[in-house]
Amino acid sequence: MAGPVGEAEAGSVRIRVDGVEYPVREDLTLLQALDGLGLLNVPEGVEIPHYCWHPHLAIDGSCRLCQVELTRPGDEQARLAIACDAKVCEGLVVDTKSEAVARAREGVMELLLANHPLDCPICDQAGECRLQDHAFDYGVAASRMREPRRAARKRVDLGPTVALDQERCILCRRCVRFCREVTGTGELGVVERGDRSAIETFPGQALDNPYSMNVADICPVGALTTKDFRFKARVWSLDEVDGICTACARGCNVSIGVARGRVQRYVARRNDAVNGSWICDEGRLSYQQIDAPDRLSSCLARDETGELCPVSLDEAVREAARRLRPLLDERGPGVVAGVASGHASNEDVRAFKTFLDVLDVDTIGLALREGAADELLVSAEKAANAAGARAVGFGPIEGLLERLRGGGLDALLVLGHDLLEGDVESPALDAAELEGLDTVIVFDTHRSPLERVAHLVFPVRHAAEKEGSYTNLDGVVQRPSRAVRPAPGVRDERDFLDRIGVALGLAGYGMDRTA
Amino acid sequence: MQKAPFTTGYLTEHCGDDAFGTLKGYRARGGYETARRTLKKGSPEEVIATVRDSGLQGRGGAGFGTGQKWSFMPADDGSAPRYLVCNADESEPGSFKDRLLLERAPHLLIEGILLSAFAIGAEKTFLYVRGEYGESIRSLTRALEEARRGKVLGPRALGSRFAHEVVLVRGAGAYICGEETALLESLEGRKGMPRRKPPYPAEHGAFGRPTTVNNVETLCHVPHIVGKGADWFRSFGTDASPGNTLFGVSGQVVRPGLYELPLGTPLDEIVFEHAGGVPDGRKIKAVVPGGLSMAALPAGQLDVPMADEFLRERQTALGTGGIIVMDDRTCMVRAACVITHFFRDESCGQCTQCREGTGWLNRIVRRIERGGGRFEDLALLEDLCGKMEGQTICAFADAAWPVQGLLRHFRQDFQSHVNQRRCPYPESFAL
Repeated sequence: MAGPVGEAEAGSVRIRVDGVEYPVREDLTLLQALDGLGLLNVPEGVEIPHYCWHPHLAIDGSCRLCQVELTRPGDEQARLAIACDAKVCEGLVVDTKSEAVARAREGVMELLLANHPLDCPICDQAGECRLQDHAFDYGVAASRMREPRRAARKRVDLGPTVALDQERCILCRRCVRFCREVTGTGELGVVERGDRSAIETFPGQALDNPYSMNVADICPVGALTTKDFRFKARVWSLDEVDGICTACARGCNVSIGVARGRVQRYVARRNDAVNGSWICDEGRLSYQQIDAPDRLSSCLARDETGELCPVSLDEAVREAARRLRPLLDERGPGVVAGVASGHASNEDVRAFKTFLDVLDVDTIGLALREGAADELLVSAEKAANAAGARAVGFGPIEGLLERLRGGGLDALLVLGHDLLEGDVESPALDAAELEGLDTVIVFDTHRSPLERVAHLVFPVRHAAEKEGSYTNLDGVVQRPSRAVRPAPGVRDERDFLDRIGVALGLAGYGMDRTA
Repeated sequence: MQKAPFTTGYLTEHCGDDAFGTLKGYRARGGYETARRTLKKGSPEEVIATVRDSGLQGRGGAGFGTGQKWSFMPADDGSAPRYLVCNADESEPGSFKDRLLLERAPHLLIEGILLSAFAIGAEKTFLYVRGEYGESIRSLTRALEEARRGKVLGPRALGSRFAHEVVLVRGAGAYICGEETALLESLEGRKGMPRRKPPYPAEHGAFGRPTTVNNVETLCHVPHIVGKGADWFRSFGTDASPGNTLFGVSGQVVRPGLYELPLGTPLDEIVFEHAGGVPDGRKIKAVVPGGLSMAALPAGQLDVPMADEFLRERQTALGTGGIIVMDDRTCMVRAACVITHFFRDESCGQCTQCREGTGWLNRIVRRIERGGGRFEDLALLEDLCGKMEGQTICAFADAAWPVQGLLRHFRQDFQSHVNQRRCPYPESFAL
């Protein structure tokens, strides 16, 4: 995958952490510097546990877990300080493993757990909970808390997307800072003080913004959960696969949670070059399209009565060749057009372009659905690989549409169905305009109004079901891993095109392709 | 409220006089002469040097050198504004000294503000007053109005070329807002929570500008020091802790109230000779020397001079000089309940140790008081105190201090609660 986690930022100041020297940038704090070098809490790196600090939020300094022992030049003795807020300086010596550090961490963990309900068996976060992890690594096994624990509200409905359990909350205030600093919506705050403090919205207000569910990702404990994933699966039964979101051209990195062969959730995965640590709610929920009821699972062709019916792969491929061959022979490639989609991978759009080139088809274009954009992540282009399609030669669709409306086309090969949804306000095309065509062949993931006019439909894979690369709006090429198996019969566009090429007897297809 | 301390000195000698609270009365007693002279002919450097040489230590609880604090202000590069903040959020239990000055000597405070603001180059002072101090706010409002009308404040303060205005701000009732950076947060309209340091207020204070925060009593010493000199000031108090201060004595004593005395006056002299000891022939059990957040001393340790260099040796501190006397009927576990209840209630809640620790301490001592204590609880209390102390954004989690003090000197009280499974002090104050 492109885009490192934390950009390696060596600098001019040398610090020594647990005996190892690192060059760091002088304007950073210790946690920022180690994070910038990609060394923070990774194998072979430097381990400094923390709750309130987050690389993409302002420093808070309140959880006190990241205490380490610092000795600055001229200091007579080391002293404990929080690593999130301690500026680095030349000659700074850091000890993360001293007894004082261990004691401080143990103290913080014991106090954080003092009022914690310990309801891990019914908590969604169990298994990916920083409180569990750090209590295990730095805490003590037994609780000395004999008093009644603080009772608080366990099911606070914060808004349409997120629920809050105030008992589990450790008041790191990451969620509060997220809503103030990242979305600027400021819905969340802390009411009361001392050990009565609680995260709340203003009375009558809801946590309701296009990025609201990120607060569940950054909540280190099970206090904030998305209503979408709540009670759906135990996280230890999930396989986590590195994927990308395909809802727009940003290509935000996600961790795809898979259980029982199905995608259960997307969680934002950090990539400072693409999405930081965030993902929009629409993108997060776009995983639901993978198993949507309107997914295509079989090739479809028109029967004698004109109805689209499931057919075998071979029948569909033969039918494609049977329809295209006479058109090409009798009327030439000029009556055929190819519409690419921003959803297909680089490999698939390249295969499509090659296919069209071999046929000598030069009426081509890229169909894209466009919608609202925002200043944070959401791009107006609602597909993950528009840049990739453009890169192999698919340009604006207008010329193609003009030729179509002028009656110059007889056949259309279409990836996806964005052709009918070029713009949310005014679709590029109405399906009725395609009714007069001799042949319409569609390669798509989902059912669409194109079925009204399609003669053949090939079911293709969602990005989470395949190997492939995608180029985002900034030109970053990303190669997500396959997370789930597609339904049998659902294949890559390039695979169908190969078979059709063979059936058409095209040069370079079939056996001699290896030559 | 007392109109004047039982013993007075340079700071409070006129406080019994109602006229002293008026501009006319203050001027009739020589008031504003020092400021007039200094603002016209003196220099900020001279004022800072005099105050530094005097050894004046902040009277708000931390005892930091005032002149040194002023010298932290960055050089005045003309990029105004710079601010002085007067911390009048007196809320340490057992402390009521600033209140007297606010109510009875508002012009002394304004003169102190003028001189201090002149020294640090501040064009404006925010006077942040504890919200519950209604009489103080009335008195200050009157005095400020007089001072503006009388051109003591304004574009040409006291006829000089120094411009100054004072903005009165009323707090909303939070102990933590006496911590200088929480005060600044509150002043700016946010919830009172201490800021991470550095940067310190001198660099990044009120509204992000260079700011010095000084306590009311501290500022009231300044006109006297500037007017009479550092050597004069050093003729009071000890070498390390010069000057007079206002001791507030409360609790079970014959004459509770305020006493202006030199620093270094022995605690037993204040309690027995000045405050008359405990009434009804009872004995003293414990004395808190400097406001509730300081560790209490047992009856046998009252022969200590009231200055930090001596109190530190006994693991306590001068704090705000609020002396709380408890007689031999007092249950120290109940005292611990009251103390921890206060700190639990007032913790701002941002740092883990303080938020969780104050509540836990309180629940343990309440259980011991009710007779449900175990011997391990004493070690647990000590251990928790150790985990709270010194590890947070502000000094508030050092609220562990007074609990440590009680465990150090009055462990027997805790043990007898555990042994007898009840409180052995039927006559102690009720919770």
